Amino acid sequence: MAVTKEEKFPVAKRFDIADVQVSRDATAVKPKIVANVIKKAKRPLLITGGQLLKDEKLVEFAVKFAEKGIPIAATAGSSKPLIEKGVKPVSKTYTLHQITQFLQDEEFKGFDGSGNYDTVVFLGFLPYYLSRMLSSLKHFSKITTIAIDEFYQPHAKFSFTNLTKDRELYYSMLQEVLDNL
Amino acid sequence: MFELKKGAFVVDELRNVSIHIGKIVEEEEEEWEEAGPTPKPGIIELRKWDHKLLERYEPFYAPMQDFCNLCTMGPCDLSMNKKGACGIDLKTAKARLVTIACCIGASAHTAHARHLVDHLIEEYGEDLPIDLGGNVNVEAPVMRTVVGIKPKTLGDLREALSWAEKEIVKVLHSVHIGNEESYFDYESKALHVSMADHVGMEVADIAQIVAYNFPKAEPNTPLVDTGFGIVDVSKPTIVVVGHNVMYARPVTDYLDEQGRLDDFEIAGLCCTAHDMTRYSAKAKIFGPIYYQLRVIRAGLADVVISDEQCIRADLLDACKKAGVPLIATSDAAVRGLPDVSEWPVEKIVDALVSGKLPGVFLPVPEKVGQVAPLVAEAVFRKHGGERKYKFFENDEQLMEEVNKCTQCMNCVFACPHSLRVDQGMVHAQKTGDLSKLAKLEEICIACGKCEQACPKNIKIINVIMRANYDNLYNKTGKTRVGRGPIQDTEIRKVGQPIVFGQIPGVIAAVGCINYPDEMKSIVEILEEFLKRRYIVVTSGCHAMDIGMIKDEEGKTLYEKYPGDFDAGGLVNVGSCVSNAHISGATIKIANIFAMRPLRGNYAEIADYVLNRVGAVGFSWGPYSHKAASIATGFNRLGVPVVVGPHGTKYRRAYIGKPWKKDKWWVYDIKTKQKINIEPAPDSLLVAVETKEEAIVQLARLCIRPNDTSAGRQIKLTHYIELHQKYYGDLPDDWPVYVRSEADLPLKQREELLRILEEQHGWKIDWDKKKIVDGPIRPYDAGFNPTLVEEVYAKYTKG
Ligand code: SF4
Ligand code: SF4
Ligand code: SF4
Repeated sequence: MAVTKEEKFPVAKRFDIADVQVSRDATAVKPKIVANVIKKAKRPLLITGGQLLKDEKLVEFAVKFAEKGIPIAATAGSSKPLIEKGVKPVSKTYTLHQITQFLQDEEFKGFDGSGNYDTVVFLGFLPYYLSRMLSSLKHFSKITTIAIDEFYQPHAKFSFTNLTKDRELYYSMLQEVLDNL
Repeated sequence: MFELKKGAFVVDELRNVSIHIGKIVEEEEEEWEEAGPTPKPGIIELRKWDHKLLERYEPFYAPMQDFCNLCTMGPCDLSMNKKGACGIDLKTAKARLVTIACCIGASAHTAHARHLVDHLIEEYGEDLPIDLGGNVNVEAPVMRTVVGIKPKTLGDLREALSWAEKEIVKVLHSVHIGNEESYFDYESKALHVSMADHVGMEVADIAQIVAYNFPKAEPNTPLVDTGFGIVDVSKPTIVVVGHNVMYARPVTDYLDEQGRLDDFEIAGLCCTAHDMTRYSAKAKIFGPIYYQLRVIRAGLADVVISDEQCIRADLLDACKKAGVPLIATSDAAVRGLPDVSEWPVEKIVDALVSGKLPGVFLPVPEKVGQVAPLVAEAVFRKHGGERKYKFFENDEQLMEEVNKCTQCMNCVFACPHSLRVDQGMVHAQKTGDLSKLAKLEEICIACGKCEQACPKNIKIINVIMRANYDNLYNKTGKTRVGRGPIQDTEIRKVGQPIVFGQIPGVIAAVGCINYPDEMKSIVEILEEFLKRRYIVVTSGCHAMDIGMIKDEEGKTLYEKYPGDFDAGGLVNVGSCVSNAHISGATIKIANIFAMRPLRGNYAEIADYVLNRVGAVGFSWGPYSHKAASIATGFNRLGVPVVVGPHGTKYRRAYIGKPWKKDKWWVYDIKTKQKINIEPAPDSLLVAVETKEEAIVQLARLCIRPNDTSAGRQIKLTHYIELHQKYYGDLPDDWPVYVRSEADLPLKQREELLRILEEQHGWKIDWDKKKIVDGPIRPYDAGFNPTLVEEVYAKYTKG
């Protein structure tokens, strides 16, 4: 039987020299919490990725985020379906790679010149690519990062839990975030 | 007069004394060019240039691990840029890791070159002249520029090789614990060792071209069969895999001597395949490195010859399971096999055919040439063509395998591409329809990780391959054989249009195949540029994928576009080591068109390239260390590189910040002023996620400060058109590239002038349709930019 917190035995604690090596992993959160964190943000930004070109539903959700007043930086060509649906992304040309570099610079004033973003939400990326960018932001910035893709992203500050067989469940999670914004 | 000759001498009366005379300086070294400032540079000589680049293109780090485990004081948690026990911080630790990756890449090519040069000197003698054909006088542009030599013979290549080996060791030393403190300086070392990589590649390819008589810069090389479905099942098949053709090449000679070349199939995987076809156009190309398990498990091989680099580390295991004998040849990958160099041919053949040994280590090329055909023939006789092209005995067996799946999704979490194998399986279970599984084949790199994760031990690769069998079989076409260098005459023709911008850019698609998308995406990306009359250059695995994808008329890009280094041409230079001809071509533009001296003059040439030559590297699926050093070597030369999303796992990029106005400046030699310029190109190494993004980034990174108005207009037209086509709108940054109204695309001029006035506050004189105020700088036809103080001083003197 595993040792539990309530017992008299000491709890197991990870330490550097004998451990599975993760310093800080994302808090796995429910949709409602995601909505709360976004609501608390002073300068939120949604960055959309290339998977919007493969999944129409993601485009619809991004449009709804825009309707809630969250600015969108569209990468990888995701601006095209968004523009077709009337969204005006604040950035269309730069890659996620470039934007991640910009976000880490204290002098970056955002795409509208009014200041850097404090909370960034990521939607529609290849998981391995997003993982690297989240790692960079975790180590070299103070920005609150939220991953709302189908994969749990340990390098984010907050992340959805993992994908399941049921993609509809994932869509309903996105809808729940929007309903609570 | 007593004349000294090379060789060993025994001095009379002194029996135990012999004198060895090495290279004799017979004459004053030929004064082929004035020596530049940095021949045979060490780590420090080009550091100033590197820092220029790094200040503009700031290193970006995306750590894979939060911890460092490199020495026994650790492991150390370096997260949030903390320092380890040795004092190194996370950024510097990552820069060190990239330096290590580049050292590995550079050593791979340089050791390959060393193997080749030593072997070839033994076989052909050190005086074998370096003759790359009548149209190539600047025979070794990289060696001339970096090392400062003009090699005339095979033996001369050793000087360049020794320099590269020395520098690799020095940089490797620097990654030892307790050295650098600044990530800038590790980056400078990564750039340095990657420049050495290009020297190593150039040595290797020149050596094999002259010794093996590969095509010498000919644009119209033959087309060879490429793809999974190329094998005639009535013939024994010899499969070669790896990067160093010197071991497998004698197979062709042996069979040719016996008059039996047509009785066999010789087909290869990865760069050895390219180089086999460069030796004999009868050889064929199965495909890129991820076709290994496709080929082996489909029973196509009757014998496999492996050499070095990028080969599966479980090749012997895979061959054993398929009942295919393996001949390992390179000392870089002995594979636990017994060394049979001293055995007679018959004994080796017997051991392999009887199965007494599953494989042998045979580093003797001539013997490989004899053994492989004999083994292939005997094994073929055992199995016949029967076993070829089968992943399962029958459909029942396939469905049995499919039905084992419980949709646990372990495979999905193990797969580097997170492929939804579970969904394909369940769909097939319910409906018998294999199409969802079939779709996976287009991206699956056949790495086998899913199979190890699967609790039901399903042969997932075989299932996927079988599901898409017809498409896989028919993904078969033609590759134009690697031509080697670009001719001086071609450079003379295109140098000016490239530098002025009328040829909108050179796109160099090179490297591995860990694509984020289906294989055909590489063709879709490149054809966009071919149609727009960019020059497209390719090599390695990218070059063979292009040979597999056909249009509706059954034609590959090689059959649709000529092999000339000219607008709208598609140039396959060859294998990985042939990449040096691409960096070489950019150098030759500076030399042949602009008359810039090369000898030991690296910074001036790289500065020239960065400011004037609109060449961009593109690696859609990079995974090897060699890809890291190739790209980093291009970066030092001033050539930006775009990588696919897996490229972010190298953990480092060079990304400029176009909004930081003070970062973008040059010295103008004409006006003798330091002036602000447009951020072009604004990144040196950047990843993209989709093919759409690849296309747009490549087009925008072709823009150079030196473009003439006509050139800028052409480049901007393509960039804007592509951005509108794929991103649905004008680019965010197009105004920064506008110096005068003449830079604007003709068709959109009026509309764009209005936008500049209304949205960006520029002043427009509408009567003359002229820009009065707004651009970062005005256009000046005599503009002569440089970032290098010494170059500025040199050309402003007097
Ligand atoms: S090299 Fe430095 S950071 Fe890495 S484990 Fe050793 S002490 Fe720690
Ligand atoms: S073999 Fe194919 S499906 Fe399996 S893990 Fe590798 S890429 Fe994914
Ligand atoms: S790991 Fe095996 S059983 Fe599980 S979903 Fe994948 S194929 Fe099916």
